[in-house]
Amino acid sequence: MQRVDVIVAGGGSAGVAAALNAARAGARTLLIERQTKLGGAGVNALVHTFCGLFHPDVSRPWAWLNAGVPVEIGEMMLERTGQSAPDLMGRVYVLRQHPALYAQIADELCAAERNLTWMCGVEWSGLERAADGWSVQVVTRGTCVELRCKAVVDTTGDAIGARLLDPALCAQAEAARLYRPAYVCALHQVKGVHDDSWRLALGARIVRGIKEGRLPESALGAAFRDSPFAGEVFITIDLEAGQADWDPLDAVKRARVEVAGRETALRLWHLLRAEHPDFALTPPPELPTQAGIRESARYIGDYVLTGGDLAACRRFDDECALAGWPMEMRENARGPKFRFFDRPEPAGIPAGCLRRSTVPGLFFAGRCLSADHEALASVRVMGTCMATGQAAGKMAVDFAAGC
Amino acid sequence: MLCTIALMPVEEISPATLIALIVELQIVEATYVLTADADLFAQGMDSLAIMQLLLHVEQRYGIRIPPGEMTRERFATPAVLAAWLSDTASRLSA
Repeated sequence: MQRVDVIVAGGGSAGVAAALNAARAGARTLLIERQTKLGGAGVNALVHTFCGLFHPDVSRPWAWLNAGVPVEIGEMMLERTGQSAPDLMGRVYVLRQHPALYAQIADELCAAERNLTWMCGVEWSGLERAADGWSVQVVTRGTCVELRCKAVVDTTGDAIGARLLDPALCAQAEAARLYRPAYVCALHQVKGVHDDSWRLALGARIVRGIKEGRLPESALGAAFRDSPFAGEVFITIDLEAGQADWDPLDAVKRARVEVAGRETALRLWHLLRAEHPDFALTPPPELPTQAGIRESARYIGDYVLTGGDLAACRRFDDECALAGWPMEMRENARGPKFRFFDRPEPAGIPAGCLRRSTVPGLFFAGRCLSADHEALASVRVMGTCMATGQAAGKMAVDFAAGC
Repeated sequence: MLCTIALMPVEEISPATLIALIVELQIVEATYVLTADADLFAQGMDSLAIMQLLLHVEQRYGIRIPPGEMTRERFATPAVLAAWLSDTASRLSA
């Protein structure tokens, strides 16, 4: 039976940061991931912007918000995409990132840590208390494996650890209010200059296509953004996903969303290629491994961060990361509704959002940390996930050292 | 049998009717009352919202907007948008 100090479950932005921080602090660390690439939504769902990396005051030059892994990944991405600065989009700084390069960066950073091992294609299937810490069961291609560790960090996004151990440790918003999933695909060999007017004209064509029955209504949720590389355009399609019937943890509903995303993406490509000269040479879209899930279950920790805390830029004595992204609420597929912080200053995320004192040795970060529905709309973004992930990694190491 | 084509009485396109539509569709975060000169983009209108608005405007007023004429300036405020839509409607029906 394999024994390590820290197991990090989920190799997305939070999990990679957690595993790196734990390994660098000297802990024997195992990172388990169900997909075959690290980087989470930023790789497998083609989410191509790093949000939450920067100080929220856009009246000043851009500045990193959280030191450590977020800066390390951000700087590597800036260099590899040939960008010198993030973009100013309205009232926020955003770094356009490339999914393939993010996968490469995550691989390189993890490979450089000799204390860190990562496993892919692994489903987390059990969590139990053991005499010397935790027993973590995983399934890989029909084989059940038991792993032992002193501390666990859950960065699965879905609070899988809570669901396995005691579902009362987590909660999920009602279906109608859950932030909608996004289906992102990439189009290549797109010509032209893609300014606001280009986007609006594209929107008018889509509306025309829907009215004439050549596009599904779900195409109304499509937004276009240029990659840092010429000729590549990402389409992000917000899906209604059955609205009040949506449950990201229901496998049948999940499959329907994947199908709806693909169908919308392919029909959009077909129409644009036939009708829009800038898309005349565009091959079929590059599809994501999975739709991007914005919200599912999350932990109820010692503290539940609220939208009011963030809006008031509240700071905490035990804060372990900073949030700077506005609350970007997407309860429907008709575009985001933003709630900005009251002042252009960051808010604190207390350590109590990453742990629960009744379950010592279990930590959580990323999209499944302890926050209410409104606060989640800010802290779920990748830059903030890196920050809470590295904080949880450090907390896990400190706990393991005391065992 | 005599066939008659009933011309639907088309609602007048005005800043007020557009504002009513924008509020009904939750196009922008109307935390206060929208005026005819409100900056719609500053109020959170984005490309998704514009598609929604366009779809409903075309349906309600029975007009067809040429994609090539879509510019950011024409969606700047309810007053500007109403003037352009009225002009488009009269031009296309002429």
